[in-house]
Amino acid sequence: MENRMDRRKFLGVGLAAFAAIFAPTTDLKAVDFRATKPAAWESEKTKDGIKALYGSAGLKNDEKKLSFKAPKLAENGGSIPITIESSLDLESVAFFQDANPRCLTCVFTVPKDAIIEYDIRVKMRQTAFVTVVGKTRDGQLYSSTKEIDVSIGGCGG
Amino acid sequence: MAKMKIKAKEKKGVVKVKAMFTNLMADREQAIKTGVKEEYLRQVTAKINDVIVYEVTMGGFMSENPLLKFKCKGKKGDKIVFTTVDNHGKEETGKKKIK
Repeated sequence: MENRMDRRKFLGVGLAAFAAIFAPTTDLKAVDFRATKPAAWESEKTKDGIKALYGSAGLKNDEKKLSFKAPKLAENGGSIPITIESSLDLESVAFFQDANPRCLTCVFTVPKDAIIEYDIRVKMRQTAFVTVVGKTRDGQLYSSTKEIDVSIGGCGG
Repeated sequence: MAKMKIKAKEKKGVVKVKAMFTNLMADREQAIKTGVKEEYLRQVTAKINDVIVYEVTMGGFMSENPLLKFKCKGKKGDKIVFTTVDNHGKEETGKKKIK
């Protein structure tokens, strides 16, 4: 009987060791902003969205350091190509627009030493302002804003 | 169910990656309007040698079948692994060798 218990204990220790080895990999798992900042995903206006996601720190409008390419006139509102570029050492980048019922579209978590050049496609229902906000590792916020014309009819007018 | 198309090409230490995911990306309003179930990718992560190189949390306002392009550092022959999580919590992975 005692022997058996020992064997059980041994198995238990083995399992614990196994778990300990694999635990760090789960820590490396990505940051889910939907779980950590649910308020930001529900807010309607870009201003409120930025506040909910990054707090109310002052925004620096710097289009040289944080820029994005977007078409001035989008013919297809269902898929608008946008390229975000930055030379700053950013921690995260977020993309907001005012065209849809909720403003926050996507949030990038930038790993260290990454090249910030992200290309995405978004949906927009109407002509509106879009804003890209970047947070540096020391907590400063940078932003840049553009207006995108969306012609739903697809005739370019 | 969902398909993933990945392309990764290395040039001078920089890897250009293109990835396309099959997903409706239907948000709450759109789901009601078109009568489909709410469905969107919640998170996409890319790893090379178990190091995260790209990570994004998304909502339903990305275009249908989202196409993501980005650059990262890497070597030829390494494997890039994508993991996606949708709004129901379903995870899927896709691999591709860097050319």
